Amino acid sequence: MTDADCDAIVIGSGPGGATAADVLTAAGWSVIVLEKGRNHLVDLDAPHDPLRHLANDEIALVHRHLLGPDPLLEPRTYRRSVEDGDRLLTGEVNNLPSTVGGGGFHADAKLPRFREEDFALHTTRGPIDRADVRDWPISYADLEPHYAAVERIIGVAGEVGTNPFAAWRSSGYPMPSGPDMAMALVSSAAAERAGLHPYRAPTGTNSVEYDGRPACVDCGFCGRYGCPIAAKGDPIASLQRMLRTGRGQVRPEALVTEIVLDASGKRATGVRYLDLTQHPDAPVVELRASRAVIVAGGSFETARLLLRNDLGGDLVGRNLTYHFQTFTVGVFADDTGGDRGRDVTHLHDDLMIDTPELRAAARQAGLPWLRGGVTEHGSAAGPVDEAAMYPGGAGHLAAMVDSSLRRRLWVLTMQGEDLAQPDNRIDLDPSVRDAWGLPAGRVTYRPHRHELVASAYSARVHEAILADAGSQAAFSATSPPQDHIDLHGDISPIGVAPASRHVMGTARMGHDPATSVVSPEQRLWDVPNVLVCDASVFVTSAGYNPTLTLAALSHRAATLLAD
Amino acid sequence: MSTGGSTTQPVFDEASRIVVAAALDAQVPGASDLGAVAYVEQLLTALDHDPPRIWAAPEASGAEWLELGAWERAAWAQRIDAMRVAYARVAAGDATEADRRMLHDHACEATYGDPAYGGNRDRGGWQRIGFPDPMFPPARAAQTVDATPAEAT
Repeated sequence: MTDADCDAIVIGSGPGGATAADVLTAAGWSVIVLEKGRNHLVDLDAPHDPLRHLANDEIALVHRHLLGPDPLLEPRTYRRSVEDGDRLLTGEVNNLPSTVGGGGFHADAKLPRFREEDFALHTTRGPIDRADVRDWPISYADLEPHYAAVERIIGVAGEVGTNPFAAWRSSGYPMPSGPDMAMALVSSAAAERAGLHPYRAPTGTNSVEYDGRPACVDCGFCGRYGCPIAAKGDPIASLQRMLRTGRGQVRPEALVTEIVLDASGKRATGVRYLDLTQHPDAPVVELRASRAVIVAGGSFETARLLLRNDLGGDLVGRNLTYHFQTFTVGVFADDTGGDRGRDVTHLHDDLMIDTPELRAAARQAGLPWLRGGVTEHGSAAGPVDEAAMYPGGAGHLAAMVDSSLRRRLWVLTMQGEDLAQPDNRIDLDPSVRDAWGLPAGRVTYRPHRHELVASAYSARVHEAILADAGSQAAFSATSPPQDHIDLHGDISPIGVAPASRHVMGTARMGHDPATSVVSPEQRLWDVPNVLVCDASVFVTSAGYNPTLTLAALSHRAATLLAD
Repeated sequence: MSTGGSTTQPVFDEASRIVVAAALDAQVPGASDLGAVAYVEQLLTALDHDPPRIWAAPEASGAEWLELGAWERAAWAQRIDAMRVAYARVAAGDATEADRRMLHDHACEATYGDPAYGGNRDRGGWQRIGFPDPMFPPARAAQTVDATPAEAT
């Protein structure tokens, strides 16, 4: 094709899309990245410096949707099962940022790798009733070079040798770990006394100046905030590299509605998008790509786009996974210092490991095996969020001064492995529409019993650790909640729907078109020059933060595409 | 960060202001003394300004307020219209349960949010709970956490 606008169109500018665009432009391709949100991240004009739109402003970033999406424009719906009817709630459901940089923008940048076993769970652990446990079509060894590459691009700070369960590595981390949070050392010491193995978290936050970006100053506003000084490499590093080749461009406020196919229906020739810089009538723009269209909208929006376009087959949207989060909360007599630092500086992996204790817990529950997830030692909340959690009235100021839910709080958060179930899915809501008349995405999700058993196990272990660390009280809660549903999700700190922003698995990769949506090269089986480069392709959720893995997968898929 | 709020037009008449202030104080005692009514009035008139007073800009940006996109502006117009109706109910003494949740949110934001939005007068909300000031940028030496483990109690 000679009249194409570019070699490849990338839909979405988050860690997956930005990584693919970086790889392809480095290989000489021309790339246009379309992002439905606005740009608060990087100057699109040379020399592509960071924009200075951000402060540690809880109102703008947490309460007023600065990084989008605005739920009035882009509502989503949620139900636990068909028994809830068409929906249980409408509004915010797993809303990752809709902005240039996507989900990488708001994250506090914990970037662990998966382990070898995570890619072969069916082989190593076996099936579980009512779950679709499968091996990935690739191994850790296939992905390792790409893990190393994206760690260098993003700039990951970490240390080798302190996590006894870590997978092998071909190289060290590009930066040493940053400063420890003091209370993380206390909770880590208690975890060690319990026989666990905490270690310094690998984070995409600079511990020293790196790639022209400054070291983190430990201001404490990390998760849910963009970094005002660009000390986080994800996703600005990839986007800057791509833009600086001169072969890449980013178009914000471009909402892709259609993937255009040729007459055969087997090849994509481009996309149509709405130019959201115009209101109220957003014009349709057509863009042509000579070689590939890469979908990287995140597991929610990617599935929604494929479903609207009837691409990818019947499995699109199915096997949605989150991390089933268990928050074990300790309230201490004195300040924990959790409101400064990088939110989380220490992790432990022990509840992911096949230990005699977890085997016994599985047997007792009638399950063949049990896996929890990586556990984060940390705490963070701004004063507005804290204030909103206390009931209004005469005691409000005393509660704020006492600050049991901020200054005296320390939390062990387990990102529990969530087993794939075909009925857990994203589909199109039958009647709710977004501001542009497109069907809203709908989540149907209910955890497997495995997740509940693992959660209860972790709660026992972690409550004991926090008690040993000196907490006055320790309790556990999950997201989504288990015991009762508070329909006033707007006033619940963790809400009715899963609060996890780790959304995965709606377009799984595999060897067999009958059981997967994309090939091992992440190409749609039915339209091979359409690739999916985000966490949609995850076969299992593992129990690790997904960003580094999705970026490594995107790096691999784009490298194979360019070869 | 903008100093904000100094030219916000009043929304409430004197009688309504007294009722709204009391409703905000009922959620967070002392909120109105810290500018909660001004916070609400700035929010309800945010779109009267250009750029709208929705997102305060950091000093490093060279602006006081960030621009909204065309669709974001439309969403905020819809949201503010609904808030105006809700505050009319509050002023009339007819607040619903949803209105009280809005009042709670606004009282918290006005008391403990950035002063650019019209509340937290003289950073008094932060001072009364010992929240560090200024929020950003901090001096690195002042913010690096103590790596010495505390004794478990």
